[in-house]
Amino acid sequence: MVEVNDMYYAFSENEEIAEKGEYGGAVTSLLKFLLEEGIVDAVLAVKKGSDLYDAVPTLITDPNEVIESAGSLHCGTLNIAKVITRYLNGARDMKIAVTTKPCDAMTIVEVAKRGKIDRNNVIMVGVNCGGTLPPVKTRQMIEEVYEMDPDDVIKEEIAKGKLIIETSDDEKGISVDEVEEMGYGRRTNCRRCEKNIPRMADLALGNWGVIGPLAGKATFVEVTSEKGAEVLEKAINAGVIHVEDPIPKGIEIREKIDQAMVNLATKWQKNDFSEESGAEILMNLDKYMDDLNRCIKCYSCREACPICYCEECSLETRTPEWLEKGKLPPSPVFHLERMMHMVDSCTNCGQCEELCPAEIPLARIWHEINIRVQNTFGYKTGFDTGQEPPLTHK
Amino acid sequence: MNIEYVPNTCPYCGCGCGMNIISVNGEIEGVEPWKRHPMNEGKLCPKGNFAYQFVSRDDRLKTPLIKENGEFREASWDEALDLIASKLKEYREEDPDLLAFLASARCTNEENYSLQKFARAVIGTQNIDHCARLCHGPSVAGLAQTFGSGAMTNSIIDIEEASCIFIIGSNTAEQHPLIWRRVLRAKSKGAKLIVADPRITPTAKQADIYLPFKPGTDIPLLNAMMNVIIEEGLEDKDFIEKRTKGFEELKEVVKKYKPEDVEELTLTPADKIREAARVYAEADSAAILFAMGITQHITGTDNVISTANLAMLTGNIGKPGAGVNPLRGQNNVQGACDMGALPAFYPGYQKVIDEEATEKMTCAWGCSDLKCTPGLTVVEMMNAAEKGELKAMYIMGENPMVSDPDIQHVKESLESLEFLVVQDIFMTETAELADVVLPAAAWAEKDGTYTSTERRVQYIRKAVEAPGDAREDWDIICDLAKRMGAEGFDFNSPAEIFEEIREVTPQYAGMNPERLSKPEGLHWPCPDESHPGTPILHTEQFATPDGLGIFFPIEHKDPAEVPDEEYPFILTTGRVLFHYHTGSMTRRSETLDRELPTGFVEINDEDASELGIRSGDMVKVRTRRGEIEITARVTPDIMKGVLFIPFHFAECAANMLTSSSELDPAAKMPELKVSAASIEK
Repeated sequence: MVEVNDMYYAFSENEEIAEKGEYGGAVTSLLKFLLEEGIVDAVLAVKKGSDLYDAVPTLITDPNEVIESAGSLHCGTLNIAKVITRYLNGARDMKIAVTTKPCDAMTIVEVAKRGKIDRNNVIMVGVNCGGTLPPVKTRQMIEEVYEMDPDDVIKEEIAKGKLIIETSDDEKGISVDEVEEMGYGRRTNCRRCEKNIPRMADLALGNWGVIGPLAGKATFVEVTSEKGAEVLEKAINAGVIHVEDPIPKGIEIREKIDQAMVNLATKWQKNDFSEESGAEILMNLDKYMDDLNRCIKCYSCREACPICYCEECSLETRTPEWLEKGKLPPSPVFHLERMMHMVDSCTNCGQCEELCPAEIPLARIWHEINIRVQNTFGYKTGFDTGQEPPLTHK
Repeated sequence: MNIEYVPNTCPYCGCGCGMNIISVNGEIEGVEPWKRHPMNEGKLCPKGNFAYQFVSRDDRLKTPLIKENGEFREASWDEALDLIASKLKEYREEDPDLLAFLASARCTNEENYSLQKFARAVIGTQNIDHCARLCHGPSVAGLAQTFGSGAMTNSIIDIEEASCIFIIGSNTAEQHPLIWRRVLRAKSKGAKLIVADPRITPTAKQADIYLPFKPGTDIPLLNAMMNVIIEEGLEDKDFIEKRTKGFEELKEVVKKYKPEDVEELTLTPADKIREAARVYAEADSAAILFAMGITQHITGTDNVISTANLAMLTGNIGKPGAGVNPLRGQNNVQGACDMGALPAFYPGYQKVIDEEATEKMTCAWGCSDLKCTPGLTVVEMMNAAEKGELKAMYIMGENPMVSDPDIQHVKESLESLEFLVVQDIFMTETAELADVVLPAAAWAEKDGTYTSTERRVQYIRKAVEAPGDAREDWDIICDLAKRMGAEGFDFNSPAEIFEEIREVTPQYAGMNPERLSKPEGLHWPCPDESHPGTPILHTEQFATPDGLGIFFPIEHKDPAEVPDEEYPFILTTGRVLFHYHTGSMTRRSETLDRELPTGFVEINDEDASELGIRSGDMVKVRTRRGEIEITARVTPDIMKGVLFIPFHFAECAANMLTSSSELDPAAKMPELKVSAASIEK
């Protein structure tokens, strides 16, 4: 009987998947099982596009194709919640299983609170995340800092504070701190992120804490919801996934790794967020005006923001035209309007800043304000605590 | 349910941004970032973000149309193409030069290559051109004379390395947003930004030094900067000696252009010119960016040469963060030029007047008797049509009824033709005048390559099917060629055409499909399969015969029209961020249309107050060509005495007012950026 808060070491009973998938292929096997049994209609995951640095969302309905999404892509900087609202009608007409890093899962939770994703139809298979890397800069880093050919790389991973790059015959690790001081490494929003284990998903999987004989051959699973417990139990009973109790020392190590990442995030927050009242953008607008005046109104922040799901956007309305159209830069109200609509649910997924052609540090601004909002209202963005988003709902 | 992410290249400006097109169950549903793309890293501008919206419009052309008694009726492909083939044969037999072709900077390399080959090999005329004539024709001509090669010298990413960026005649923030991003990044690393423009554009607003100057005075302004540099001994003597010739002649001419003396002409404060000259010359590496503000004059070629003089004078060529960088305005205007959709050049800029090159192409295409005389340019075609010297035209994906100067004249010219074929994706203002209209596949509905402004050749990939019976441009041309009995058009795919392009275009020879399929694509020249491509030109020597860059001293000439009592204003034209060219796509994108549904005329606030004009008033703007009614936008961000109208909007078309009577002698560019005009309520 699998229950919420249970923890396991898990690996695939299928030898081929155990071999091809990472850390025993538990994620791949589980997704394949969900499709085969008709528990879900489709799996939403990411796969490799042009190369290892190109993460492309893929909707899989054929169980045999699940294996194509195996393996982690650290350059997968996208937020998959947007795919569900924009192209899959909020999972209203189909049941899907989706692999989620913590900010994906948090966003799905937030968007579901706002009624734009049917949470009943979504199984979130969460995966640990220590941060994602922007593709083009990462290739540059591998070439210049690691002095390796980015096209030869077969794997990158973050372990023991090091960013490790592997080719078929070489491996090099440099401390994350060091590469980030040089302006490379993880996206700035990821550096500030304290959510490394996706406990708001239905299951939280990852390699942290797997020690002993199964190290490297199994995945650590924490059951984080009833739904998660139910599907894992089915997969175990069907003989698809093998589970064992984790070594207690492993559980400790997992917590330690998580805590180390949280400490690092706190350091970055201190570094990025201003000492005084920087988050109070309304009172300190002039502080941001140089940044906001560079805006070319490309709407990329809105297009990429998973909380911006409105079919009729108030920024575009001409009836009335309360925000003047066709001129640059737009009034700062363009951004403030977006802020009012999304900041309580902002999961610091970083899409807005990553996609801004005018180099406006949007994620930093919204992240800082979101934390203030969470403190003010005792809200927990990204977790289903029963409380509705405090600014936009009652 | 099926979702596909199809990596692609943006169909709008020349930046060449990567993006994913999303098809859901075979329908185009959106654009998503392609963060892996080396140039834009997933970032897009408004046009790019909403580029999918025009593709699935209901008013796409879906079937061939033949005009009968002034009305279009639907026709089959067989009927339409047989009709065109028989007409073209008739004219060809009478005289191939009775026919002219307009290719398109919107279409792929493969399609432009096919059309120019069709004009030359099947018809036997050199009358092939496209609207690069009205954009960077002078850049090609001017930089070919000075450097031996008419393209952007450095890459877009490289702009970030500059320690000074001098932008003249380009509103980069609005027209090339993802190049602008590199300018912003350079600035954040300490680069100084100099912007010269008659308008305080969003680009000018970020400048460290802003130089206002009167439209049409580019040469005195640039000469004055060179005057200061030489007077103060800031020129790069080593570079001038080792890598250039003609310096002494240049020195003699620019001697006459002291900033204090040109101030009256340019209206630029002399101390600002001096400051800008010093900052530019003293920078470790300084990049010049320019666009239509430099080229769209009857002195366009001379303006371009002046930018080249300035760069060579300070040794800012052939190294990172420097260069002379014409920013090209259309997704594939570089490629259309590379492919020889020009009346004086074969693919790869091999000259029509060069007998050896003509012999080579004749052999390669298995045709006979290509003339070694360049054919007609865009504006010359219109003039010839009006005079009855042209009888038929074939226009692929261009809309001269909005884009060309003096639209009334264009209309009369096109109406004078006996036979006009227009191949397009929408019923444009030009297509309305055609005898036969052929429905084409749009971007997102076809495969092929585009070449961006930085000479980067990249794939576009088919994501959805074209609507109705619409077909890809290359496919239509090849079918027509075969119906006319021509050989050498048995292509089954754009990839097969590209193989032939590689054979005849030396700059493209090393580009095989495996190399091009990488997100990086390849920068030409790429002469063989082991060559890495060339992001920066002229590093060791120039592409001139003796490898030296050539200074050409340039004297100021007045524009074709200067203000007078009846027409006291200078009208200048341009674009806005939210629209593209003749608006046939962006005005059909709901988000962009909502942002800016029609045109406007910008007028200085002091001028407006004297005339009693307020923002939002309907005003009449008049030139010797005609008059339009348009909404006024009153602003301090434009010089006194200057009016600005974006040219995208047919109902208040700036090009009703521009002139085509005088042309740049080298590049045949009309005076698009300066017209004498009046404005009244």
